[in-house]
Amino acid sequence: MKITNYGVTLSRLTEDKIELVRNWRNDPKIVQYMEFKEYITPEMQLNWFNKINNENNYFFIIEFEGKEIGLINVKNIDYEEKAGEGGIFIYDDNYLNSDISFRSILCMTDFCFETLLLKRLIAHVLKNNKRAIQFNKLLGYQIADNQDDIQNQLYNLSKEEYSIKKERIKRLF
Amino acid sequence: MELDKFIQHFAAQFEETDISKFSADTKYKELTEWSSLMALAIIGMADEEYDVKIKGDDIRNSQTINDLFIIVKSRK
Repeated sequence: MKITNYGVTLSRLTEDKIELVRNWRNDPKIVQYMEFKEYITPEMQLNWFNKINNENNYFFIIEFEGKEIGLINVKNIDYEEKAGEGGIFIYDDNYLNSDISFRSILCMTDFCFETLLLKRLIAHVLKNNKRAIQFNKLLGYQIADNQDDIQNQLYNLSKEEYSIKKERIKRLF
Repeated sequence: MELDKFIQHFAAQFEETDISKFSADTKYKELTEWSSLMALAIIGMADEEYDVKIKGDDIRNSQTINDLFIIVKSRK
């Protein structure tokens, strides 16, 4: 499964790519922003893939100009609540400060709201990850109540708020 | 619309860059903290503080804060 929009292609994660993702995920530059910080073995990665390879979780490799540069996902989808949890990391430093992350997020979030028909996304962001917090706020995420004393803070994004922020983000490109 | 106030609003988008780095002649894309994230924050600032729509092209085609100020002011 592939989704192409805003100049990026999202390719659904397949088993032959989980070793690539494992290597990215174990890199300290990525681990520092993850809640789970232990080293991931090939066996752990395969177990994880078998748990997420279903309609409640969509993990995609981000491709730009033919290069695989990061991972984006919506996970733990609750179709009754019409909600899921978003996440992204860009592994390739060449694209870290570019607009690729915004292109990828628009592509993914459109998929969530227009294809999966979700109405709300959530995200967890470590309190010390200021860049991700600012990024999420610009996307329209709002911090949930009572998060001050929590390390991995909860944010919510409604479809309505996303629609407003999306028009602004598109002006970047 | 005042340049000083615009510079203040511009600087307020940055978390780590010292306020002393911001002036009308600051080539803002040369700041270490500059990224697409900041570009979007500046687009948002123009929306919210001045009700003016600027685009990525406006940012790409400007060098200094004053350049951007002129663009925003011209659309007020």
